[in-house]
Amino acid sequence: MKKLSYLCGALLMFGATANAQLIDEKDVTVTMDLQPVLQLDMSTPDQIEFVFDEINEYYAGITKYGATQLRVSSTVSWDLYAVGRSTGTNGPEYWDQQLEYGNNNPNAIPNLPLSLLELRQAQANNGAAAAGGTYPDYSAAFSPSNTPSGQNSLYVNGGTSTPPSTNDKYIGGHAGTSGIPGDDFLPGGSYLTQTGITSNYFYVIDYRILPGLPAIFPMAAQADGTIAAANPLNDIESANAVGNYAEPGVYTMYVQYILLEDQ
Amino acid sequence: MERLFHILSYSICMSFTKFLVYLLLTFFSVIELKAQIHCGLVEIVPNTTVNSLLTFDNFTSYGGGMIMNSVAKIRIRVQDKAVVDPLCSWSLIMIVDNNPGGGTPANEWEELLQYGSGSGVNPPITEMEVRVRNSCSTSPIDGVFQAFTNNGDIIDIITPLLPVTPAGSCALNVNGPGDYLSNYDEFNFDIDIRVTPNFNYNPGIYQLNVRFHLEENP
Repeated sequence: MKKLSYLCGALLMFGATANAQLIDEKDVTVTMDLQPVLQLDMSTPDQIEFVFDEINEYYAGITKYGATQLRVSSTVSWDLYAVGRSTGTNGPEYWDQQLEYGNNNPNAIPNLPLSLLELRQAQANNGAAAAGGTYPDYSAAFSPSNTPSGQNSLYVNGGTSTPPSTNDKYIGGHAGTSGIPGDDFLPGGSYLTQTGITSNYFYVIDYRILPGLPAIFPMAAQADGTIAAANPLNDIESANAVGNYAEPGVYTMYVQYILLEDQ
Repeated sequence: MERLFHILSYSICMSFTKFLVYLLLTFFSVIELKAQIHCGLVEIVPNTTVNSLLTFDNFTSYGGGMIMNSVAKIRIRVQDKAVVDPLCSWSLIMIVDNNPGGGTPANEWEELLQYGSGSGVNPPITEMEVRVRNSCSTSPIDGVFQAFTNNGDIIDIITPLLPVTPAGSCALNVNGPGDYLSNYDEFNFDIDIRVTPNFNYNPGIYQLNVRFHLEENP
């Protein structure tokens, strides 16, 4: 009886409260769908040709300045890298030989390493502070022909598009996901909103091929570009035997530029 | 028999006493609480939930933002009681809710789904702006985008406890009885929403709720 009395009292009080100030409500629910957008705009010829038909071109190489322009727009933190690829006719890490000239001299090697191609980016990589390698990007000037160096040698990874490691070269950003801007990624943004003559979202790429004489391509290097006894250059002689040289002919390969969310 | 009669009469007396006590309690409580009611009806028409989706899938919308004009219309109807009370007036406020019970930090949008690696940060509540407007500009914040900061933040559209400003005056803070049918320019509020994410946040699906709360002034 007592409990019932309390219940009645509570109900009465509740009823009284519900009849207090008049109120009405309406909800507006806003859902935001932020879809990731990564956009790489590239201006480049369909084919960049290097024709070596003069001795000085073998000695000094051929440089194609500003042949490729890369423009980045991304809504997420990003990395950008280049990787050497081919169809694998001569092997996954070699140029595809389309045509050979002359006889088949046993010292003439048709397997030209993809890393013989050198890149130079006009804008340094400002997202590679945590990089572990000697050459975090391709911003160094092309080295003289008599000073072999892998600092501009194109990154190659077994003919795959696997991202470079912390010791290898990126164009923008680098390996790792530290979450610290500038350490291993460049933040989202677009070249469209950048001002000034330099931008982390705009890169001009030069290409050089330097065969040397004999044509061994002395600038070809391993992925990290360093030179050591255990990590020699990747030129024709080092990769094969002394006295070997590149077989004359027509060769093709391609450079794949990959823009991806910070990895 | 006489004893039984005494027991019964005692029980009836006690019940009657209890009944009287409850009657008095109820009377006073009802009188006291109902004293706050000055209006006969206070409602938003319709008061059903509005769901809006903002999809950002290109750089134009990321950089320039998206505005959804008139994402909702808050139409108000406030009526006097049968016996008119001159103190009948109302207030309208908006409250932001990011479902903190689900673990959402106080100053962020509620994350429903994340795309990609999620190495960045989630968007803060300040990224959403709300604009209220009507033809008479009755709200002090009319036409100006406002932003919330944390869950539970309140922005007044018509501030509570203001003196009564009658309908039909097309003035600031109209809060007297009336409705959107007879005084549309004062009793209708168009709600606009703007979000400008730029390139700073984790891609994903996020949600916020804005509650429009209409209440008569005590």
